[in-house]
Amino acid sequence: MDKPATSTPESGAPQPLPQGTFALMVHPWTWLMALRDSRKEWKRLLIFAASIVVGISALVTIHALRSSLEQGIDLQARALLGADLLITSREAFTDADREAIDALAEESSFEISFSSMLNFVDSGGARLVQVRGIEGAYPFYGEVLTEPDAAWRNHQARDGLLLEPALLEQFNASAGDQVKLGNASIEIIGTVQQPAPRSGRFAGFAPEVYLRASLLEATGLLTDRSIASFHAHLRLSEEMASAEVIEALRTRDGADLWRFETPESRRDQLGRVLDQFEQFLGLIALFSLILGAIGVASAMHAQIRRRRASIAILRCLGAPARASFAIYLIQAGLLGLVAAVAGGGLGVGIHFGVVYYFAETLPVLVEPMPNLWVVGQTTLAGFLACCGFAVLPLLQIRDIAPLQVLRQGGSTAQARRRALLRSLPVVAFLFVVMTLLSILNSTNLARSLVLTVGFAGVFGVLALVAWTFIALTRKLTTERLPYLLRQGISNCFRPQNQTMLFVLSLGLGVFLMLSTMLIRDLVLAQVQVSESEIGPNIYLVDVQSDQVDGVKALLEGNDLPVLESAPMVSMRVAEIKGVSIRELREQGLVGNRMVRREFRSSYRDHLNETETHLGGTWPPSDWDGNEPIPLSLEVEIAGDLGVELGDRMVIDVQGVPIEVEVQHLRAVDWSRFNLNFFMLFPPGVLEGAPGFTVVTTRIPPDETSGQLQRALVEAFPNVSAIDLTLLLETIRTILARVTQAIQLLSGFTLGAGCCILIGIFLNGRDQRIRESVLLRTLGASTRQLRSILCVEFGVLGLLAALTGGGLALVTYSALAHFAFELSPVFHIGQILLVLLASTVLSIFMGALFSRGVCAHSPLATLRQD
Amino acid sequence: MSQPIDTESFTPSGSGVNASMLKVENVSKVYHNAGHELTVLSGANLSVDAGECCAIVGPSGSGKTTLLGLCAGLDQPSSGRISLAGNPLQSLDQDALAALRNQYVGFVFQSFQLLPTLTALENVLVPLELQGMRGGRKLAVESLERVGLGERINHYPTQLSGGEQQRVALARAFIHRPQILFADEPTGNLDSETSAPISDMLFELNRTAGTALVLVTHDNELAKRAGRVVKMRSGRIEGEERHG
Repeated sequence: MDKPATSTPESGAPQPLPQGTFALMVHPWTWLMALRDSRKEWKRLLIFAASIVVGISALVTIHALRSSLEQGIDLQARALLGADLLITSREAFTDADREAIDALAEESSFEISFSSMLNFVDSGGARLVQVRGIEGAYPFYGEVLTEPDAAWRNHQARDGLLLEPALLEQFNASAGDQVKLGNASIEIIGTVQQPAPRSGRFAGFAPEVYLRASLLEATGLLTDRSIASFHAHLRLSEEMASAEVIEALRTRDGADLWRFETPESRRDQLGRVLDQFEQFLGLIALFSLILGAIGVASAMHAQIRRRRASIAILRCLGAPARASFAIYLIQAGLLGLVAAVAGGGLGVGIHFGVVYYFAETLPVLVEPMPNLWVVGQTTLAGFLACCGFAVLPLLQIRDIAPLQVLRQGGSTAQARRRALLRSLPVVAFLFVVMTLLSILNSTNLARSLVLTVGFAGVFGVLALVAWTFIALTRKLTTERLPYLLRQGISNCFRPQNQTMLFVLSLGLGVFLMLSTMLIRDLVLAQVQVSESEIGPNIYLVDVQSDQVDGVKALLEGNDLPVLESAPMVSMRVAEIKGVSIRELREQGLVGNRMVRREFRSSYRDHLNETETHLGGTWPPSDWDGNEPIPLSLEVEIAGDLGVELGDRMVIDVQGVPIEVEVQHLRAVDWSRFNLNFFMLFPPGVLEGAPGFTVVTTRIPPDETSGQLQRALVEAFPNVSAIDLTLLLETIRTILARVTQAIQLLSGFTLGAGCCILIGIFLNGRDQRIRESVLLRTLGASTRQLRSILCVEFGVLGLLAALTGGGLALVTYSALAHFAFELSPVFHIGQILLVLLASTVLSIFMGALFSRGVCAHSPLATLRQD
Repeated sequence: MSQPIDTESFTPSGSGVNASMLKVENVSKVYHNAGHELTVLSGANLSVDAGECCAIVGPSGSGKTTLLGLCAGLDQPSSGRISLAGNPLQSLDQDALAALRNQYVGFVFQSFQLLPTLTALENVLVPLELQGMRGGRKLAVESLERVGLGERINHYPTQLSGGEQQRVALARAFIHRPQILFADEPTGNLDSETSAPISDMLFELNRTAGTALVLVTHDNELAKRAGRVVKMRSGRIEGEERHG
């Protein structure tokens, strides 16, 4: 034995460790120990950190995108409208109106828009288009890009029209060809690459065609009976506020039926629509974040479990209790920081990708570089959530007694109670962070609080369902089961197996994926219903009364059935129960929309198969032909108007007031696309009123409407054929995009879940090796060991699938009933497929991350122990 | 926020050979579990002077380790008084006890209790680092050299044999020059060939450092080397013997 060491520490008096947590957090020794302790654990910790990376990136992506869109809308608000003020009317502006508008505007431009058939003479094809006849220099803001470049500038001077490039491709046409619009033959003078701002609320379902308004007269399409919208675009002087102009114009006769839009109102309207969708996506992103944060908390929990002995040793050697807490808090913070930076960076990258990939779908031009303030803010929020969740498992450190170096023991009831009390401030902090995150998602505080509580509820229910399944499985494991199956199932309940976290992670992924899939299919199924054999798929609109027989004959000549034929007359509500509709609006009893609303009503003495009688009598039995005229009302609109059976109203039928009495209420299944109306009159009232007829037919699924459309355009140029199949195709495309976005975000949640699963598999790997070695020592073959592992991973996967799947079915049923008001349809095959897929995923990942478990030498492993 | 504990306020027991380093007076330990009381230590009295070696022996379950844990301030007695280096333990909170251990106490355990994530050198350094000493590396290297591990300073515990791990533990136990060393079955996990040099090192380091030693062991031969042997049975101190 050598002599004892004689060296002494090199410098000065000892400086004992501080006692306060914060002082310890900034002490170099604590940092040194945090880094030393994590040296061999970084890989494992980083895998869990990947889950929060995914969560934070989802959150950053959605909020950065939201901010970019808002910024784009703000910057391009005028360009979105193309003017300082847009006035829309269902009736043509009178000369006096025009003069008044011109007098108030610095510059004005008028537009007439309507749907019509466009006939491609050379190819013989026809297509329903949205015609926009423009007069003046519209748009005043933003740019219309055309090919050739000067085509937009020239179209006011030239006799020709501009159309979308897709139309040229579809009908193999090119600039210079002639097309027929109504009775007029017009030359194609170019294509529109970037269109003028759309003025119609529901525009976008048919390709647009632009021409000088004065050319429309020659088409003969503009009769008094056409469904057209009239727009006045105004550029105002800097001194003139749009509110003043609106105020000045509102006093004109008939102006209360005009709709006014400013860049601000359009921005708000667009913002509201986007906001709702973004809020929904934000919710899914929050799910990913919470799941990721739970992943980090679980990583820290496992880390503390592994480090119980080290913590006891440190305390035994004289470290203050808070020192170990500070060490692991630093680790959790570093983990969160790395994850937050990586997540923020990934979010920025995804923002670039989304802006590039969805550029054509986004309503405004969006800068690829996101707002870094928003990115920073969201990343910080994600970091705080991560740290907050990670602190919860760290609270148990305080209860690890130094005595555990001599004798290991579980925590006492008193210690557990202390830990629970200590966790309360952390839970409160987490609640605040989650509320702040919810406020980022929706600025309404009450809604945010509800959202946060809702989140806790969803996770609570998930945990409860998972716990129930786990408990059931444990109870059902009897000795009668074959050994391998029994051993595999028992493995799920070994200490530190993190079965609950596993079931929560995969279960949440299954829940989101399956519920999204089922709801998408439900909506798509509604669209498919209209394509069933009984429903119409072609609507012939604007058929004049003298054309009805001819149109029907034409259909029959083409071997097509006439399914329905209904006259249609436009009207507005003037009075309800003796009070004018304007007064009711001022009293807040009806909405502004009801005042402007133009009802297209019909008359018949029977109900069709999609209508259900709810009350009253139809057709009226004892009507003498005089006023009040009996009226059948659709039940929802009756509610909006605040009327019941027996109530009277005055209806303005294009200037002629008629008194009606609600004598019948009915429900309508609008999803069937039959010809249905909110207001139904008895025959003998509206026959003389200006209107048109709609005729419906059905083209067999394997045929196209091209031939019929050509024949129609030739014989009845004013009649428009609306092809429901094309319309539904557009809806499907929009739905596909929406679903894509939802599934992308759900994919984040699944990704976060998968990272946690990998972490769990790696956490349990050492234990599996020890068990396998023990079993191998007792004589188990490799095949038996693998079977046990497969059973374990299969049971875990199945538990997760049942938890997530069960909740998805409940959520789907509730949404179908209450949100979509539809009967849920369960595709058993699809549901089973998802459940099977998640179980197989669990087995596959388990097998992948347990490779080599069976190959360990028993002797080497037992020696290590 | 708590203030740093002023370790200078602890009362050193004096450096005189006969000053009492550890004093245990009528100490009992009772565990309460599901309405049952389990007395594992009853009315223990013990005094260990500075520089004295004392072995505690007895069959399994006799309360040896419980007594050791109480003496080292790792647990609180149900009744009685313990003073360590002149400091009554019952008046100190957990952090003060930790600071006291860091200043006066060294430990050697049966299962070595090295921090698995730290190298041998870093393990030895921990007590100095906890004291806020800077530049302890040289001293730690010397300590490891003294226990014959100068070539293994950067190895992790899992890369060392049981005997080597216990030698690291010895180096760690003495690095901060404790006034009392508690050793719980220091050779209990080692074979006879490995345990002999560990025992030699323990007593040699103890002798040269002038540290008091409280040794819990089943090994009668090892206990005899301590000179004073306290015998325990069923939670009571039955008597003591003095050797050589």
